[in-house]
Amino acid sequence: MDALVAKADALRPVSQKRPRSSSKRRKSTSDPSSSKNVDISEDKTAQSVLPHTRLPASLRAKGKEVDRTGRAYNHIGDKRLRAHLASQSLQNVRAKGLVDDLQDLLVPDEQENAGLRAEHELERTWRVTQDEIVKTVGGQAASGRREWKLDGGTYRSRYTRNGRHLAIVGKNGHVATFDWQSGTLHSEIQLRETCRDITFLQDHSMYAVAQSKHVYIYDQNGVELHRLASHVEPTRLEFLPYHWLLVSVGMPGYLKYQDTSTGQMLVEHRTKLGACHTMAQNPHNAVIHLGHQNGTVTLWTPNMPQPAVRLLAHMGPVSSLAVDPSHAGGRYMATSGADGRVKIWDCRNWKGCIREWSARGGPAELDFSARGHLGVASGGTVNVYGPQALFTPHTPPVQPPLYLTHPITTRPIASARFAPFTDSLLLGHAAGLSSILVPGSGEPQYDSREADPFEGRRARREREVRGLLDKVPADMITLDPEFVGAVAAEGTGVAEKEEEMGVAKSQRTPFARLPRAERLRAQGKADETEVQQSESSDDEEEDEGGDVDVDGKKEVLKKRKHKMRGRETALKKYLKKKRKNVVDPRTEALRAKLEAQRKARVLKEKKAAGAEEGKLSVLDRFRR
Amino acid sequence: MKIKVLQRDLSEHLPQKSGDPTPTHRNLNPLMHPFARARERVRALNAAKMEKMFARPFVASLEGHADQVEVLARKPDSLNVFTSASADGEIIVHDLPQRTQLLRIPNAHKNAVTGLTFADANRVLSCGIDKFVRIWDISTLDQVQTSIELDEEDGARASTSKAARPEPLATFAGKAAFNTIDHHYEDALFATGSNCVQIWDEEKSAAISNITFASATETVKSIRFNASEPSVLASVGTDRSFTLYDIRTGKAERRIIMQASFSMQANALSWSPTFPTSILLASEDHNLYTYDIRSLASPSQIYKGHVAAVMSCDWSPTGTEFVSGGWDRTVQIWKEGMGHSPDVYHSKRMQRVLSTIYTADARFVLSGSDDGNVRLWKARASDRLGVMDTREKAAMEYRDSLKARWKADKEVGKVLRSHHVPKPVYKAAKLKNTMLDARRVKEERRRAHTRAGASKPKAARRSAVIVEQA
Repeated sequence: MDALVAKADALRPVSQKRPRSSSKRRKSTSDPSSSKNVDISEDKTAQSVLPHTRLPASLRAKGKEVDRTGRAYNHIGDKRLRAHLASQSLQNVRAKGLVDDLQDLLVPDEQENAGLRAEHELERTWRVTQDEIVKTVGGQAASGRREWKLDGGTYRSRYTRNGRHLAIVGKNGHVATFDWQSGTLHSEIQLRETCRDITFLQDHSMYAVAQSKHVYIYDQNGVELHRLASHVEPTRLEFLPYHWLLVSVGMPGYLKYQDTSTGQMLVEHRTKLGACHTMAQNPHNAVIHLGHQNGTVTLWTPNMPQPAVRLLAHMGPVSSLAVDPSHAGGRYMATSGADGRVKIWDCRNWKGCIREWSARGGPAELDFSARGHLGVASGGTVNVYGPQALFTPHTPPVQPPLYLTHPITTRPIASARFAPFTDSLLLGHAAGLSSILVPGSGEPQYDSREADPFEGRRARREREVRGLLDKVPADMITLDPEFVGAVAAEGTGVAEKEEEMGVAKSQRTPFARLPRAERLRAQGKADETEVQQSESSDDEEEDEGGDVDVDGKKEVLKKRKHKMRGRETALKKYLKKKRKNVVDPRTEALRAKLEAQRKARVLKEKKAAGAEEGKLSVLDRFRR
Repeated sequence: MKIKVLQRDLSEHLPQKSGDPTPTHRNLNPLMHPFARARERVRALNAAKMEKMFARPFVASLEGHADQVEVLARKPDSLNVFTSASADGEIIVHDLPQRTQLLRIPNAHKNAVTGLTFADANRVLSCGIDKFVRIWDISTLDQVQTSIELDEEDGARASTSKAARPEPLATFAGKAAFNTIDHHYEDALFATGSNCVQIWDEEKSAAISNITFASATETVKSIRFNASEPSVLASVGTDRSFTLYDIRTGKAERRIIMQASFSMQANALSWSPTFPTSILLASEDHNLYTYDIRSLASPSQIYKGHVAAVMSCDWSPTGTEFVSGGWDRTVQIWKEGMGHSPDVYHSKRMQRVLSTIYTADARFVLSGSDDGNVRLWKARASDRLGVMDTREKAAMEYRDSLKARWKADKEVGKVLRSHHVPKPVYKAAKLKNTMLDARRVKEERRRAHTRAGASKPKAARRSAVIVEQA
């Protein structure tokens, strides 16, 4: 029996507490002769294994920076969980290192060398004309400068997500879809009625047209597939690719979501703001932005019958909207109104725009490029502004430094669209379409798993099936898309809610029926270290943005108040009695004593909560 | 002025020659992957649902017994050979991959066979309530198999011809009906359990020692040698006791008596194959318990999931999982250290499960039940048998990691945790849950109305053992 116990003790001692190996470690360092230190910097096998494993302490090189990610979990008792968390955090660190490498090696080169760069102080990028750009670049890139002379009225256009295909629609009913780079025409139809907008669905094989009475869906060959009769007099269309939702808004002022994978009309929202002629989607949270006749901008999600945000943006109708896809997931929005103003908004803080100026020549058409360039087409010109100056708060209503400008003689300009993964901007107007080159506006690195301009037929089919399998439920559209997989906020537990609602003590949920997390919290056994951790990491994140929310978040996470009334000690009573406008040494001494007591109590509470900086907790694995 | 515009040449993005994979590009910038987390969650949900959809654990039913299958035994160092014994005294040697019977020993015992164990690769020991222990030679499998096949061709059942019974190598007579038997891992010794625990030598006709605990009045239900320290023996008995013996000292070393209020009597036990002091008990009170024998004051884990007495249990050879069979007609697969939500196997025709066993490769589970069938199950319900190509394997691994990552999500976790169970089991579990819950709440209320600190809540683990004797 003793032999058996000895065998098991060698595997795992009966008391599950880990032996503190600090003394052992100290001993080994003091006695270098006993420890066999292998220099692994020479060993190729060890080097090849190193990125995928943790080295035992005996093999680590002396004096070099050792990996300390696992240390943060030392306070966790469960050995298996601790090892799991440590290896996970190590993996995260390595993955982050790889991404950083990529950013360091690839991105700066492209970012810094892309676009137009002045070589000396007196040069201005906006003085460069399209002819000069075309002459300089040549090759395939020059095909981005095109003029299509068409007579179907004012034209609107839309690219597929991979930027390969283009759909155009003229006011008088001329619809065409084509591969604009190779020049292959897919379909061309004359609808002979007013057409107001066009959008591709999941890829170029289907597109929807907002016609005079309804929305129609056509396939690649221009064959009518569906007539969506419930969309009445539509003016604008959007397609949410990850939710497979076709969104339309029209003259009656209804916002309609239709699921294109099932055909179900998901929801209709009555905006109560009359006919709507302006719509944009935020590609990062799938929120629909609408601009209305009375100058308000509203933000909609399918699961709320009221707008998530209502904002008076302009004095007069809103003429165009665009959401910036480049900065931290749709953080900025640009609006333009019939009052001739262009405004940039921060979508986290709606108290006034961060920048505004007036565009010459009446209402402007706006679009953001993937790199954050804003194209403003108004009157007879197209102005493009670079992202650097655009998003820094600036109170005087002056135009930001111009990046590029191009005159277009035909008025009005009805649409402006940047082409994905290409440096070109397509402008639709009364005489057709013109595509101009905007160097540095396109995303150079595409991701084949998201959108590939060069994908073949099989890849397209594969993507369609995968897209359907990964279809995100529509009710998960919210302003903050990061709520998925996040840890529940404090104050959302059963017991906390009951306490807040003032349920009588006898009526409250018994301890035994509370969820495990709350029972642990009630017992003081819950690991609360992650709250502080999240607070500090959030601060780090937000610091570079220089924004307002830091304070707000701290307020949310601040300690809950202990409501305790009538707490009056004898000492306090005595002090109250004695309180006079004199400096009494005894009172002062008592005050100091009270203060010291308070400080000691706070310190004790903090210690009890086990809140040490830098400690990670079990729940941290849900953070990314 | 420096001007640079993106140039994309189609030829760079096409495969070099036909048959090559299309070149792909990656951009890890999170802005390029909107809804990455939401989409991953959808994939995890789909993975969880797929696991449930492909959960088809039942592989085969090995027929042959005419009465309930009392006990199963695995041939050491073999993946395919198993023996089973039934209540009508028949022993059958099965070949798993062929699903054939290699050998039948009808009337091996006069009544039920209650214990079965391998002495080595060729010899099987059996004991029965007819007070006999017999040793059988199963090395001449092929001859018997052919004779059975011939019999079956004739249309007559082999078991009906009593002349086909081979003679045992040895027979040992006891004084009381035997309940269990286990062979020593190294020596030619075996232990039996009846109303006492006896050690036998294969060469001697009578028991060489009786090592029952001095004050025991029990009937021994199950008995097992430790694989790591071969002289250590453990037994469980009807007086809610769990006893440890050392056959070298020839006496009982330690004994614990478990709680009375839930009739915490154990039906079966099994030593962990990887952790030498860990032992698993299948208890009459619907739970399974693991004990570390170094600290017998409380079990190291309670496994709650059955809704009736647990009749048998067996560790997986990896020591990370174990299987249990219950009176509630289910087979349950547990993870070591996780005391809840086991995988539940059941079938319409399966009756009370009296014996369960893992295969040596830890991929399959065998169960013997009241209806006379031995059933073969997958150890992982949604496992795919047969050859898998690399892409499929990678996809499965990806799905597994998704499930592991999102198991805390409400919906994903709900799908992962839920099992379809037969209606009676579901109802019984619901009722049991209600009762236990009410008991807990009542206890809490009672405590709220007593003087503060007068009675403290006691963990179930702490109250499992009444007394520990040494």
